[in-house]
Amino acid sequence: MPGTQNKSDDLYNEAVAAHGPALSRLARGYEFDPEDCRDLLQEIHLAMWRSFAGFDGRCSLRTWVYRVAHNTAASHILRSRRMKSKTMISLEELEEQGGIAAKDDTSHSIEQSEVLERLFALIQCLNPLDRQVILLYLEGMDAASIGEVTGISSGYAATKIHRVKAILAERFRKGGNHDKQ
Amino acid sequence: MTNNNSSDELLNLWKSQKPQSISLSAKELRDASSKLERRVYWRNIREYMGAAIVAIAFGFYMVKFQTVLLRLGSGLTIAGALFVAFHLFRKGSTAVMTTDLESKSCVEFYRTELVRQRDLLLSVWKWYLMPFVPGLGLFLLGMLQMVLRQPASHLHYGMVALWFGATFAMCAATFALVEWLNRRAAKEIQKKIDTLDQHTQAID
Repeated sequence: MPGTQNKSDDLYNEAVAAHGPALSRLARGYEFDPEDCRDLLQEIHLAMWRSFAGFDGRCSLRTWVYRVAHNTAASHILRSRRMKSKTMISLEELEEQGGIAAKDDTSHSIEQSEVLERLFALIQCLNPLDRQVILLYLEGMDAASIGEVTGISSGYAATKIHRVKAILAERFRKGGNHDKQ
Repeated sequence: MTNNNSSDELLNLWKSQKPQSISLSAKELRDASSKLERRVYWRNIREYMGAAIVAIAFGFYMVKFQTVLLRLGSGLTIAGALFVAFHLFRKGSTAVMTTDLESKSCVEFYRTELVRQRDLLLSVWKWYLMPFVPGLGLFLLGMLQMVLRQPASHLHYGMVALWFGATFAMCAATFALVEWLNRRAAKEIQKKIDTLDQHTQAID
């Protein structure tokens, strides 16, 4: 139907203008390999466009976009044989591991690209729920918004964010400054 | 460095990335959508082809063999293959086109997908293995009957018993292996569901 297609096209353009770069970062959080990442990103864009036919404004465009994107990515993980065989852990387990990964941080100047690479590696070892939380947190979303997208309570999202901050501080502190706060 | 300072720096670094942002044109989106639908269509065709091959092979046996047991076994195997194809059509064994992406929160969606996959694996014996058991069982008995009908001078009972035993054991082992692998995979999925429930219900 042309009317529905126009509505989907308009919403899609609006969503890409507002959240396009965030969606690319999100896709990279699930697939680091450039080819696979591009495939997933296309899958997300297509799912988003198809979903807009049913957009009824019951939630904000941002929440809608992130839900579709994360659910598409979660579905992608569940389908992927490579991902299925990978052991994924929770933020709590990651926190318990403590400073294992921080051992590498003794160099005084870590290139930003290297930091990002390690951040992606950390994100990709997380289970889908915690991966969603950390990716949404990195996009600057607060606990209430993260709760709305993921479906967990805002209190629980706040606890998760607290853990994320602690893990990031532990693992990405600058060389030489190893004091725990 | 405080947790907040460290996180803020990372947040800035995260957002400063210049990822390849894509925007698909309306035509590209429609083309991609049609391509996805074609992929689903051909996936279904491939799944039905399997059933068609079984139906053709056992249809040939139905015509070729004259005994009741072999004909009945072949007919039931064809019915089993058609039942499996119908089940695949109704449920879909692999969700290529996932729906409900927007109506559910991420936790709800992820849990629903896990439960769907677990249940599909646990019910494999019911919709994928069992439908073939009566047909293949009768067919095997029909083959045995046909061998035993030969003149006694041509028969080597030891060999017949060995052939029947080996064929029966091979079928049973294949079924048992498929069932065991599926149960193992379902158990892994259940662990994920339990962990998810623990994490989401503990604080909610």
